[in-house]
Amino acid sequence: MLAASLMLRNPKQRIMTFVSAQVCVLLAIAATFYVMNCSEMLSIYLYFGYVAVSTIIIFGVLRHYDRVMIRRLGARPIAPLMKWTQDFVDRLTSATIYYYDSAVPRAFASGRSIFVSLGLLEVLNEDELKAVLAHEAWHIRNNSRTPYLKQLALMTFSPHKESELEKLADVFAAEIAGSEALYSARDKLDKVFI
Amino acid sequence: MVKLDQINISNEGLTKFFSPIESMIMKTLWSEGEMMTSELTEKTKIPLTSVAGTLDRLVKAGYAMRRVETVNGRVRYVYASVSSEEEAATEITTRVLDSLVDAFGPLALENFSKYSGKK
Repeated sequence: MLAASLMLRNPKQRIMTFVSAQVCVLLAIAATFYVMNCSEMLSIYLYFGYVAVSTIIIFGVLRHYDRVMIRRLGARPIAPLMKWTQDFVDRLTSATIYYYDSAVPRAFASGRSIFVSLGLLEVLNEDELKAVLAHEAWHIRNNSRTPYLKQLALMTFSPHKESELEKLADVFAAEIAGSEALYSARDKLDKVFI
Repeated sequence: MVKLDQINISNEGLTKFFSPIESMIMKTLWSEGEMMTSELTEKTKIPLTSVAGTLDRLVKAGYAMRRVETVNGRVRYVYASVSSEEEAATEITTRVLDSLVDAFGPLALENFSKYSGKK
């Protein structure tokens, strides 16, 4: 199944096969425990402890991590500064855009917030900015689903493929803002938006 | 680094105290006054990706300051140096002399009075 996921071109299908491969691994782990038929095994406790901790972190902490980021970056809502950006994102998903003081052009999404640096607003023109915001809006839209993917990857110890998600977000951004704007935005930023 | 905790005596000019990009930016700010990011990258001919992080650092270290300006719905940073070149030179000199006195005590002071420039 992992091999199949490498052969498929469509990122969505690749993620789906990847997930089913992980579920198989999980079943295999459960089956092994069952067949070994031993209780009171330290490694079982360790594994369940690990699963519990990662579940709490991924489903509980990461969802509210944007609050921490706002405080740490001293971020402020963008609406008073550039209202059209907030209106644009409102049409795609429910998220608040925050800007923070840094000349390094960067954008990222966390929880229900999109963060952009002032340097990014300075460098990109309107269309390019729309492409970046659409990309981040896709992440917000799917933030309720990605934790499952991360959790599965952690439980089976297989690396979770961020690049597939980035590709899907790019496809969405190209649909909304046009692929030209997306490529010129990518060109301008050496840092890939996360 | 701008924090002055690392001084490279063998380097040329300002790069004794600053990194090459930092010193280029500071020299431009001292001579030109207020500047936008785009003007800075043009004048110094350093790509934005290298300038941006350095500017953040200079602002944080208190050598440069910036304000946000909105022009036609677009946001721009306007940079300026916090102090003049002379003031910065005085500050750096004081810091270096302080550290010499700290290390050598009266011996350093004795040498200052005898000092008569490069041989």
